[in-house]
Amino acid sequence: MNTMKLILSDRPLRLSVPEGVTYVDLSGLNIANCIGCFGCWTKTPGCCVIRDDAVKVYPLIAKSDTVLYVSRVFCGGYDTVMKTMLERAIPIQKAFIRLHCGETHHVQRAVAPKKAVILAYGTQDSQEQALFRRLIDRNARNMNFAEYSVLFTDENGLENAVENEVKKWQS
Amino acid sequence: MAVLIVNASPRAPRSNSKRYGEIFSEYCQEETVYFPLSKTNHEKICEQMEQFSKMVIVFPLYADGLPVTLLHFLKTLEQNPPSQKPVVSVLINCGFFEPRQNDIAVSMLELFCKRHGYPFGAVLKIGSGEAILDTPFQFFLKRKMKKFAAAVTSGKNRTFSVTMPIFKSVFLKASTNYWIAYGKKNGVTPEQMDTMLIEGK
Repeated sequence: MNTMKLILSDRPLRLSVPEGVTYVDLSGLNIANCIGCFGCWTKTPGCCVIRDDAVKVYPLIAKSDTVLYVSRVFCGGYDTVMKTMLERAIPIQKAFIRLHCGETHHVQRAVAPKKAVILAYGTQDSQEQALFRRLIDRNARNMNFAEYSVLFTDENGLENAVENEVKKWQS
Repeated sequence: MAVLIVNASPRAPRSNSKRYGEIFSEYCQEETVYFPLSKTNHEKICEQMEQFSKMVIVFPLYADGLPVTLLHFLKTLEQNPPSQKPVVSVLINCGFFEPRQNDIAVSMLELFCKRHGYPFGAVLKIGSGEAILDTPFQFFLKRKMKKFAAAVTSGKNRTFSVTMPIFKSVFLKASTNYWIAYGKKNGVTPEQMDTMLIEGK
């Protein structure tokens, strides 16, 4: 399986994107809400029936072995832009359920195990940050994160924080 | 005073959440009023909310958290808060066996309620929620729903959970059969459903 590095952001970032890194600004894409039709599992397996920009993004998520997700936080979870995309990424899983870490989870299709960094901004307090960390811990089981870290920053520090993470990929 | 039921499932008109809302109504000792979220009715529901002292939000777990339809509604609610804030109870289901996989989503709503001054009420977390209603085990679900409904009407902050009373190994086989039958209705074979390809690659 070919692997790659992916930056998935819910807002435009001024970045010099190094070779070998794919940068996707979700805010510039047309991505509708998942409608829960299960078509990607039971009608056209591996393909979402809604043919908008999401169908270009979830294959990138699947292929990437290193990901940096940049998202505003709302109610202790991803805000709507990132959450809309992650909900639309279920074609990369199968309907079938397996035991994983002692719990039931969906079987993955060709999804590379990931080293994930989640860069979150807009949290209001430590309680919200703790809840977001719990969410990412659950994501790790369902999104094939082999390892992950969660970083919090404010909007002003966001681009520097992204640059710092990307530099680590190059070293 | 009636209990407001808001169905926040992305497929509200034909969702399991709708069925769970209907069972809740059967067991609720007070009148219930049902609103499925649509793209255009969020502000209307916020306006209506003033007439209710209790609200039940019914929805499925989506990608480990609240479905984005519900997030959009909560954002509208932030901007259009009712003058009288109802007690908010949560009726959540997930397709996984373990009801605890719903915990994060419940905590998210609890955080919203804490921040915006809504009293937090009762919780019913349903595991194996995709299929339990169509099995003999719906009896267990209904028993918990009755307790949940009593807690909602009395305004108590109690948490309940339910799943199929079977071994996980049996659940895995049953869920595989469920999905194979689902695919068969669409003319899709188990082998096709089992593909590793994404967008055909």
